[in-house]
Amino acid sequence: MTHDAKPPAQPEAPLEPGQYGQFLKEHGIATNRLADSCGIETIAIQAEHLPSALKLLRNSQEVKLDLLITVSGVDNNETFDSVYHLWSYSHTNELVIKVMIKKTDVPEGKLPMVPSISNFWSAANWHERETYDLVGIRYSGHPYLRRILNPWDWEGHPLRRDYKQPVDGLNDKNPHSFR
Amino acid sequence: MSEGNLIKVGSPYVPDELKDTVTLTSLDHAIDALGELLSPVISPVANLARSNSVWPLTFGTSCCAIEMMCVGMSAFDISRFGSEVFRATPRQADMILTAGTITRKMAPALITLYEQMPEPKYVIAMGACTITGGMFNDSYSVVQGVDRIIPVDVYLPGCPPRPEAILDALLKLQQKIRTENYHERKKRTYNQRAVRYVDYDTGKLVDDLVEEARQEADAVLAGGATIALKSEEKQAEASEKKD
Repeated sequence: MTHDAKPPAQPEAPLEPGQYGQFLKEHGIATNRLADSCGIETIAIQAEHLPSALKLLRNSQEVKLDLLITVSGVDNNETFDSVYHLWSYSHTNELVIKVMIKKTDVPEGKLPMVPSISNFWSAANWHERETYDLVGIRYSGHPYLRRILNPWDWEGHPLRRDYKQPVDGLNDKNPHSFR
Repeated sequence: MSEGNLIKVGSPYVPDELKDTVTLTSLDHAIDALGELLSPVISPVANLARSNSVWPLTFGTSCCAIEMMCVGMSAFDISRFGSEVFRATPRQADMILTAGTITRKMAPALITLYEQMPEPKYVIAMGACTITGGMFNDSYSVVQGVDRIIPVDVYLPGCPPRPEAILDALLKLQQKIRTENYHERKKRTYNQRAVRYVDYDTGKLVDDLVEEARQEADAVLAGGATIALKSEEKQAEASEKKD
């Protein structure tokens, strides 16, 4: 054998909640701290707690994360992630919140559901539409969840792992293609 | 005088049921014949005039449009060659510089713009994206070359091409205009239409949609035929039982 079998993965000790995780814990919202992304505190949160947590983080004078930088979506192997980047002008601090939805929890033929935050944070409106368009995460309660980049009747969500792009007269298959 | 007298040999075909309402005059043919007769004299002069006033359409979909703006400014000054008048409407333009990536969403609009331009109309495919799709060739949303939807006169490679390259493409186009015969071109007018049509609603090629509809119609007809056959069989069975 050229390579030895890997030692069994040791269960990593759960990370201590950071500043924002502690803040949310004090206000009764359970979070799960993930590995920092680029030195920024990253927390995972349950979908149903997302709007209340974001309202808390935005309105509290203590943390005042008052700028929503972006809402994005990730298609991981096991999960669909809806990722929120928040920024605080007054404390010059940043936070990444992830809502991870297991693919096994999503019914066949349905899209993963995440509560929309565009009702109280209108910056998220187009970001959520874009995430819906490209990754296919349905934001429940969004006022106008329609495709924003692709034509309205586009089939499929292009940034998903299982996406097959159309092959027709405008865009046939390149023999050197990786797809 | 009846309309039938006006219809001359060689005129467009008119179906019988429309002959009451369609009046074809022979004036067009007379003008055409005159033009054909005079074209060796007129064409060089007219071509010289047309080639030195090729008015482009203001059309830019990405970074190539920056170079297109640059070539209109004083450093390169496309007005030395008579093309400084970037028209804001296709109805006043002679030439379209397809400056930038054409996505599948943009393709129907580009075809509409091309169709709205009056003859004679010319296309310069500017930049790698409009020639082959460029670095977006493998993308899900990009048309792999603008010559898949409209006919192209001059291909101008580069990413983006320098303004000098645009001037060179314009000079090539001017050469092409000077050597052509407008009367010959007019005969080919039908070929100057868009190569492919794209449906606005579905983004699919109209040919494909027509083919789909035809297949559906065939399926329906075949279904109707089978139903008819079944009823005939039943009648046959019933008659056999009676016997």
